Amino acid sequence: MRRALLGVGLLALAWAPAGAGQPEIELGFENLLYRTARTRLNRDNLLGLDPSEDLLRGGLGVKQTWGSARLVAKGYLERRIGSQDRTEATLRQAYLQYSFGDGLTLRAGKQRIAWGSGFAWNPTNRLEPAKNPLNTGLEQAGSWAVRMDVVPASWVGLILVAARDQAAAADLPLETQGRVRRIGAARARFLVWNTDLALVLSGGAGGRSLVGLDLGRSLGGSVSVHLEGATYRGAELVPARADRRFFRLAAGLLYLRGESQSLSLEYFWNSEGYDGQAMAAYRRNLDDTYAAAQDPRLPPPARQAALDAYRVAAALPFSGGLGLRRHYLHGSWTRSSRDSRWTGAARAVVGLADGGLAFTPGLGFAPRGDLTLQLDALVLLGPQDSEFRLAPIRSGLQTRIRLLF
Amino acid sequence: MSNLLACLLLAMAPDAAAIVKRADRAVLGETTTYTVRMTVQRPGKRDRVVEMRGFKKGDEQGLVRYTTPPKERGTAYLRSGENTWLYLPSAAKVVRVGAKQNFGGGDFSNGDIFRLSLIKDYDPTLLGEEAMSGEACFKLELRAKNRSVAYDRVLYWVRTDGSFFPVRAEYYTISGKRLKWLSLGEVGKLGGRLRPTVLAMENALEAGAKTELRFLAIEDEAKLDDRLFTPSALEKGE
Repeated sequence: MRRALLGVGLLALAWAPAGAGQPEIELGFENLLYRTARTRLNRDNLLGLDPSEDLLRGGLGVKQTWGSARLVAKGYLERRIGSQDRTEATLRQAYLQYSFGDGLTLRAGKQRIAWGSGFAWNPTNRLEPAKNPLNTGLEQAGSWAVRMDVVPASWVGLILVAARDQAAAADLPLETQGRVRRIGAARARFLVWNTDLALVLSGGAGGRSLVGLDLGRSLGGSVSVHLEGATYRGAELVPARADRRFFRLAAGLLYLRGESQSLSLEYFWNSEGYDGQAMAAYRRNLDDTYAAAQDPRLPPPARQAALDAYRVAAALPFSGGLGLRRHYLHGSWTRSSRDSRWTGAARAVVGLADGGLAFTPGLGFAPRGDLTLQLDALVLLGPQDSEFRLAPIRSGLQTRIRLLF
Repeated sequence: MSNLLACLLLAMAPDAAAIVKRADRAVLGETTTYTVRMTVQRPGKRDRVVEMRGFKKGDEQGLVRYTTPPKERGTAYLRSGENTWLYLPSAAKVVRVGAKQNFGGGDFSNGDIFRLSLIKDYDPTLLGEEAMSGEACFKLELRAKNRSVAYDRVLYWVRTDGSFFPVRAEYYTISGKRLKWLSLGEVGKLGGRLRPTVLAMENALEAGAKTELRFLAIEDEAKLDDRLFTPSALEKGE
């Protein structure tokens, strides 16, 4: 299916019939350099990380429009330098879109869905891979999906999506084995009393069935607010807790001053997240599996099983993209110079339960209208035993260059 | 005697509301598509030049998509009534934004760009006639009908030669301070009729700061579906 779609796309690009718009082409270079650490999640370097892990990427993106049809393809070739020296290709997006006037649009292929009004967290979203929990500003890969947008009137719209994705975080030097999900979802959205209101239903294999609500409204002036919530039965984090109902909620505000300055704050509540007791149990599990993996009295298969269990538990904070705890705060600030050439940015995710902090200051430079450079640093701060400090990463430097045609 | 003549001339002039209504449609028609180049000038800084494709239906619905430079391509603003949304192509996301803010980092506000109609938000009074930028003009004072609009008071100069082309507008805060002023010029034929093609907004808060909108193409009476002015259309892209 994927190969067929890509083949059709490439043929369409090569054919380029009369009436086609100018193709938009993007060349990119990314270098994600991490300094790793031996923490409780990486005792004696059981994850097998080198002191520094480097993800070096060369990317290509193409967008071509023919009247009501569009093809988008973006991907990169990644060379990992560190514990695993290997090269692999990854598609971020590859889809075909066709619009039947203003009322119906179909899109098929690997695509970003951007499901929900939340900035850092989207409680209604089970369709896409999670955002990178340590830097929500990185470009996300899409999901393989078929999407239909129906707009019967200007105040109402319906989006239907069938998607397949793997809920694992990208852009990290760790192997995170996320679940494969095959999800169907519907979003009915309305504009009522100058408020965006959306009702969401989703369910399928590999993910809980959920009911969600999404609200967005301008407060006047330069501020807008949003609230996105979902409820479902059965936990997605271990342990399963099959009969309990859980809630997730993201509530935030955005202050935007033209395009020169923005400030956003978002609070995230995950009712199935671990409280202090559950977090202590999680740490004990790490300790126990580690001890078993090292115990010479155990037969090798038992030690290997313990090691595998340790690795799965160690990857848990990164495999869902949501973190393990119940309460988080995300803040983001950007400011551009008056000629838009320089942009300063700072992002932070704070674990309110333990005071851990993932801080990402960044600097962007656009010397020309077709060239952008972005440099982000990643620093993990907070108490030694806090969730972010448990990560087997001490710091990171993320460099991105884009040349656009 | 001359006072009497002036009074007679004023009495013969169209009423203030009629002048403002005609002036509101002098640049863009009721339903319009257009291409515009925005140049933001800041003292000591390189000019920021952005080209946009715009769609306007009545005074309530507007959509603007950035087409160049490439790094800004795809960014789009949508206004429908009191609601404003911004599409960020890098995140493939539509976000709701506050309505009262400057547009595109320049000196125009979102309201200046999307509304382009003063009669709906202001009560006009004809103050008389006055030459402005070498043109004989009606001078009008416009008072805000409510506090939701960007400016409390506007002084407005509109040509008396029957074209009803606006020449200048000065925008004042509730405290009476002049905030910005708009000059409209370079009358030329676009979309089959003559109209001012360049709008330049200057900012009293910063000497030398100026934002120019230069219309490159205009098509009045375009057939635009209401469903073009929805967040779904923003996500779909052009």
